Amino acid sequence: MSRLPRLFTGFTHAVAAMMVALMFLTFILQIVIRYTAQLPWLADMFPILEPSRYGWTLEFCLFLWVWLVFWGNAFVVRQQDHVTFDILYNAVRPKVRRGFVVVFSVVIAVGLLASLEPTWSKFYVLRLKKTATLSSLFGDWVRMRDVYLVYALFLLVVPLRFGWLAYRAIRYGVSDATNEAMDPTPK
Amino acid sequence: MTFEFMLCLGTIVVLAGIGAPIAYAILIAALLYLLAAGQGIGIAGKVLMDGLYQSFVLLAVPLFIVAANIMNAGTISDRLLGFCVALVGRFRGGLGHVNVVASLIFSGMSGSAVADAAGIGKIIIQMMTKSGQYTRGYAAAITAASATIGPIIPPSIPMVLYALVSNTSIGYLFLGGILPGLFMGGVLMAMNLWLSKRRGFALEEPVPLVELPRRTLNAFPALLMPAILLYGIYGGVTTPTEAAAVAAFYALILAAMFYRALSMKALYQILVESARSSAAIGLVIGGALILNYIVASENIPSLVAEHLVGLDVDPLVFLLGVNVLLLLLGCILDATTIILVIIPLFIPTCRELGIDLVHFGVVAIVNCMIGLITPPYGILLFVITAVTRIPLSEIIREVWPFLGVLVLALLCMVLWPGLVLTLPRLLGYGG
Repeated sequence: MSRLPRLFTGFTHAVAAMMVALMFLTFILQIVIRYTAQLPWLADMFPILEPSRYGWTLEFCLFLWVWLVFWGNAFVVRQQDHVTFDILYNAVRPKVRRGFVVVFSVVIAVGLLASLEPTWSKFYVLRLKKTATLSSLFGDWVRMRDVYLVYALFLLVVPLRFGWLAYRAIRYGVSDATNEAMDPTPK
Repeated sequence: MTFEFMLCLGTIVVLAGIGAPIAYAILIAALLYLLAAGQGIGIAGKVLMDGLYQSFVLLAVPLFIVAANIMNAGTISDRLLGFCVALVGRFRGGLGHVNVVASLIFSGMSGSAVADAAGIGKIIIQMMTKSGQYTRGYAAAITAASATIGPIIPPSIPMVLYALVSNTSIGYLFLGGILPGLFMGGVLMAMNLWLSKRRGFALEEPVPLVELPRRTLNAFPALLMPAILLYGIYGGVTTPTEAAAVAAFYALILAAMFYRALSMKALYQILVESARSSAAIGLVIGGALILNYIVASENIPSLVAEHLVGLDVDPLVFLLGVNVLLLLLGCILDATTIILVIIPLFIPTCRELGIDLVHFGVVAIVNCMIGLITPPYGILLFVITAVTRIPLSEIIREVWPFLGVLVLALLCMVLWPGLVLTLPRLLGYGG
């Protein structure tokens, strides 16, 4: 495997790991602040503990959650990690199986790509809508559309992955009954 | 039912049937539905994002996954097993009992049955088969059966999902799971005792009683975890979602500092793995949100409810019917899919018939967990086969008696709501 894809995989995985870690730390912070808030003298001594500065924790976790889901599915989740119904898939001959993979890959790729433009125009109005609390963390420019941006990224990347899956299935076939053989992410 | 809705269902069945990931099958079907109904396909993304961005309870899912992964990577599981062997290993069918007790304790810390089976299950199957007095199939079967207790005793990811679709309190659901979980442990141990006697499994070398205090001390910090979690939730210290973060935090401290069994590199791997499983589950949840939107706009739940109420069904008959249906579906479908997609269909009817939603939730989740070990599609059987290389057919042959007693336990819970509701009522549940 060449260097560039490996670097790219490393980067996308690191971003996902960071999102999980941040979510975890933000939760801990939220609990700690709730208890330090009951001791007003603490905030007087250490202004950084002032509870009113931490209104954003909950929404920030939700932001990380949606980014984690769609970033993860675009770059980190492998084909075999998905919940699938594989009784029929595993029962048929490899040749039929290859057909299955090509059909569903193409359908998913085309469907998701087709929904990109309508979805984005549906999000268009959100360019005006402010988030509830995230401005205090990111600055005043942040809008709901920035939060939802990751879904558009997902609609763009996932079709590419399924396209690649279909291409590999046509070119090399699907040899194994397990889905591992059709893993599109570079190892 | 409209044509668009039939089209939607048909697409899901066909796409999922040929092996497409279920989440994507639902997404594509939803797009088709919206197109056919002339609503504009951009709505799917909007519904999905709004739903995920508003459900605070779902944040517990990635955090419980992190906690379970940390516990499996550190040596927490091994220490717990050492303690259980000293405690119940001396009785007839010893390691079988150890297996169940370890699952009971471990399920008080992790929210997922698969994590239980892959982590602690793998170690104990090695112990059971090494000495040769249990067959491979038996060891794997009792491990699979006892792992189903994991999500019944809190914390529990399936219960979080059910709380999301039914609007019930996670706190009361968690409480409602405790007695049924212990009950399931009890019936499994009874079956294990009976089978061990009948088949004459040899006794283990008992661990001397003087060893017990040392092993208890060694496992004590880990044993404290369920207590901390429950106190956090019911003492009002944390919300159930935050308790997930506390669990992960505590596991991290234990593994990294107390037991010194976790490197930075391992921690990074845990984070990536957790991101991977969270994202995969998150997408299924997203798909279910869209599907629920469609089902609601088609007015399906009230149609179903109207039909059933018109038939004048007895609540008990309804519950039994739903349970038989869920058991059958559990043979072929994944638990997450059933909880998020199928169960919401029955909730309005439950309300109409006056069935308590906490009772219904716990029973339905026990049912789905039994579905995890029913052949042919039982994810726990697959996981154990994958981590131990024991052939699936050997496990399936041995799993039937355990499956039988679990179904009996389920029937008891259906017939006797007190088993589920006593604890929540003691702590203030009004239902």
